[in-house]
Amino acid sequence: MSGNDINRRKFLKVMGWGGAGAALAGCDMPTTVTLEEGKETVVSYLMPEEYVIPGQGVYFASTCQQCPAGCGVHGRVREGRVLKLEGNAVSPINEGGLCQMGQAGVQTHYNPDRLTKPLLRKGGSLSEVTWEEALAALDEKIGANSSVEGGKVAWMTGTVSGHQSVLLEGLLESLGGAKHYVYDLINNHVAAQVNEAMYGTTRPTYHLTKAKAVLSFGADLVGVSQSPVHFAAEYAKFREAPRGVLIQVEPNMSLTGGNADLWVPAKPGTEGALAMGIAHELINNHGKDASALPSGLNGKIKAYDLAKVETLTGVPTDKVKSIAKILAEKAPSLILTGASIESSENGYAATAAAAMLNVLLGNVGETITSSGGFPFPQLDAKTGSGADLLQFADAAGKGAIDVVFFHGVNPVFTAPGYLDLEAGLGKIPFKVSLSLFADETTNQADLVLPLASALEDWGTHVPAYQPEQSVIAMQQPLMEKLYPATKGFGDILLDMLKLRKVEGYTDFSDYYAFLQDAFAALPAEFKNGVDNASFWNQTLASGFISIPKQNASITANALDIAVTLPGENINYGLSLLPAIRLGMWDGRHANIPWLQEAPDQITKAVWGSWAEIHPKTASRLGLATGDFIKVESVKGDVEVPVYVYRGVFPDSVAVSVGQGHQAYGRYAEGRGVNPLTILDSATDGKTGEPALYGTRVKVSKVAVNKDEILVQFGGSESQVGRKLAATITAEVFNRTEGA
Amino acid sequence: MSLQNVLTNWSQYRKTHEDGGFYDYEHMWGMSVDLNKCTGCNACSVACYAENNLAVVGKEKFDKGQGMHWMRVERYWDEPDLAAGESTEFSEHGGSFLPMMCQQCNAATCEPVCPVAATYHTPDGLNAQVYNRCIGSRYCSNNCPYRLRYFNFYSYYESSWPEPLNMQLNPDLSVRDKGVMEKCTFCVQRIRVAKDTASRENQALVDGDITPACVQTCPTKALVFGDLINTESKLSKLWASHEVELGKTEQHKKNKEKRGYRVFEELNTDPCVMYLERVKEV
Ligand code: SF4
Ligand code: SF4
Ligand code: SF4
Repeated sequence: MSGNDINRRKFLKVMGWGGAGAALAGCDMPTTVTLEEGKETVVSYLMPEEYVIPGQGVYFASTCQQCPAGCGVHGRVREGRVLKLEGNAVSPINEGGLCQMGQAGVQTHYNPDRLTKPLLRKGGSLSEVTWEEALAALDEKIGANSSVEGGKVAWMTGTVSGHQSVLLEGLLESLGGAKHYVYDLINNHVAAQVNEAMYGTTRPTYHLTKAKAVLSFGADLVGVSQSPVHFAAEYAKFREAPRGVLIQVEPNMSLTGGNADLWVPAKPGTEGALAMGIAHELINNHGKDASALPSGLNGKIKAYDLAKVETLTGVPTDKVKSIAKILAEKAPSLILTGASIESSENGYAATAAAAMLNVLLGNVGETITSSGGFPFPQLDAKTGSGADLLQFADAAGKGAIDVVFFHGVNPVFTAPGYLDLEAGLGKIPFKVSLSLFADETTNQADLVLPLASALEDWGTHVPAYQPEQSVIAMQQPLMEKLYPATKGFGDILLDMLKLRKVEGYTDFSDYYAFLQDAFAALPAEFKNGVDNASFWNQTLASGFISIPKQNASITANALDIAVTLPGENINYGLSLLPAIRLGMWDGRHANIPWLQEAPDQITKAVWGSWAEIHPKTASRLGLATGDFIKVESVKGDVEVPVYVYRGVFPDSVAVSVGQGHQAYGRYAEGRGVNPLTILDSATDGKTGEPALYGTRVKVSKVAVNKDEILVQFGGSESQVGRKLAATITAEVFNRTEGA
Repeated sequence: MSLQNVLTNWSQYRKTHEDGGFYDYEHMWGMSVDLNKCTGCNACSVACYAENNLAVVGKEKFDKGQGMHWMRVERYWDEPDLAAGESTEFSEHGGSFLPMMCQQCNAATCEPVCPVAATYHTPDGLNAQVYNRCIGSRYCSNNCPYRLRYFNFYSYYESSWPEPLNMQLNPDLSVRDKGVMEKCTFCVQRIRVAKDTASRENQALVDGDITPACVQTCPTKALVFGDLINTESKLSKLWASHEVELGKTEQHKKNKEKRGYRVFEELNTDPCVMYLERVKEV
């Protein structure tokens, strides 16, 4: 290998296009720009004139950062202010739509509780400092001349991708042995590991539009999913005539469940047994070929006759039969999984059992295809897992971490209470938080670096779930920073790389300059045959770079797993179900007034917490909607108002997630409760993921707390026989609107 | 438009289909809501807050029914039409979600009761609200069978938009003050801009030039907006294909299985919003 080759490789790595392997073999991309040239094109970003046309709104493309899905947005900018976000109609992720969290992005940006200055802990309390002082403090801890021990440095971030990820990895590498914990409360790591074992890829592509029936075990496609807007758009197409049938199995109703044709609650933790029962029925009564499955698994399925399944899961035999019948008649179908099945004590096995149905039903290659891979591994999304949180808590508790950085996570709020992360953080001598807000984690930090908002910052993002076509989504500032002393994530990373004197990065004046050079270095084959300047402008205008997907076939092996059932606990007779919904998400949106006042889609509750309880359980406990209960696990208790409805499994209680903040600004603080504080320590044995659905509780009636009463939108739960939301049968619909 | 003008030409502002229809309207803005696609996600409602400077009133006032959600998504647990197929133990067919915005009734029951003609019908077929003229009698809200009018019981400017949240306010429309009634306008400011742009460029308005905020954001494209006078508009065709017509208190469909209906049309409000029935496998 010539010296030149090595330089090219190094260069590509610095710019984020490294490791592309076969996709780039033989391409002449390093000649498009050299490292030396790169150093010279150091341009500071300035707002162009056209941002200000008096009286007229101009739309600029960027990427939503309210969840990791990567929806394209158009920001309406007028007189230098961004006023409104709309979906980018040409984005293959969201096709013009935005969810309510995306719409509320402007209230994150203009939030009155933003951090505006760096803060440094001096003598116990945080006080304002300049960036020079902040960086000097950092230099002392992790700078090139510091005595930092790389192995005792940790980063904890939420899902991260694109060039920010490239810089972060460069920084971690320079720190030798520093660990990157990627944590998201809402994640699909159990399914990803099942996918890896079954298909050899963690992220296959799902084709709702090709499916005639979908059986979802708790996958909240149109709500809390990997790509809420994308799947909502797919859902709408799936519902066109001939209309697809949606069956949802879950212990408490999600938004997707609220739209199901058949909503089936199974006893929490027994969904895997139900999947085995459905397989049993498909093989025995619908002639599905059991030889598609491993013989060991076949033997196990035999044990799940429907009478047994009914006893275990609480799902009546006739329901299991009708689910199997629909799946057998409507091929191809699609079986999906979500948090309620994945995040249980036997999550891996249960998820594998559900996924096995895709093999038995011949869906693989039809409604499930290969994602085609993404050619730039350095940019690809690193998605969060709960296991990383547990490992982090462990390392922190042992005193194995000296310096920690947080970005895009608030573990002090979202971590299960039993981890006592506050105490763990207490053992880390120097904690740095990169944040927009003084959230619970940031308040523990020794150094707070105030971030520019998503609408003020540059970035590239590679969505973890890429539909038909892959994109690198472009984030550009839609206006000048509201607070001059805030900084973009990329800029802060560059600052740190400079403190570490990492070769290749030290000469960029800012992240904008780095990104421009990175774009110039993108292999020519991805640039639609235009020059670098035009390509940059085109990307800013469209909001993303299209990366064609490789055609790759997919094969699947069902896994020979044994599903197990959760144990009973007489003292704690109910299951605790976390109700996580599109809106509050994992609690990160509790500081947005529009979303606080936006009714929860299912309960219609606003501005607070609630507990969902089935009428049977309510009457046994003498409870009615609006009463207060104490929900108590071995780890603690919370008190919440009750909402009684028929969308939750009896003998369980679903408590809303997202409220109960101790900090996080005027809209969030001191409102409602956080059920994550009372989670039990159950994990899925195979993957080590925390079992969010694995906590047992008992419930008792307590006095009404006037400050926390249940406030719901609308008075009536019933149409009282009026034709408000009228319903017809699918049979009629397919007849009148079918092709 | 002076009050004198309104009083002299009262019948112009108070049109009903009994008066001979709407033949001299320039446009007749309308909508369609497909309940088979709508997931009840609430994006439309928040988009409306963002576009139309809707105040956040807080928990206490929300509890008193003072929320300002011009676009609201209702959720019912029962489904009278499918009652026989419903299990009593679980909500087996999910919820029934119903996005509700001002139905822009052609025979708007809210209009004739206003003592000062603050609410009237525009030549665009819109039920307009003149904030400057409104004296807050709330008769209109009392008379809207859909409960789609929202009253400013308080001044919300300070409480709803503490700095710098106020920088987000849309300068194309006002922030309404205490004592004023407000409601969905079909994003009239967007209609205004599109009409002005078209006339400045000497072009006719084209179907699709105007997209209200709720329609724009809807992830499932359940909402369709357009001009019901333009028979070539996507919306007109949709209404026609579902055999729903304006100016009726009851639709006489050739194919009774077509899904289109208007909420409470039997009350003779002649709404410009058509709903397409929700669909369930039973
Ligand atoms: S799904 Fe996520 S990325 Fe898309 S609009 Fe909603 S919050 Fe933004
Ligand atoms: S945005 Fe669309 S899908 Fe969501 S509630 Fe509104 S109309 Fe329904
Ligand atoms: S829906 Fe109500 S407010 Fe709107 S025009 Fe009809 S009567 Fe008036």
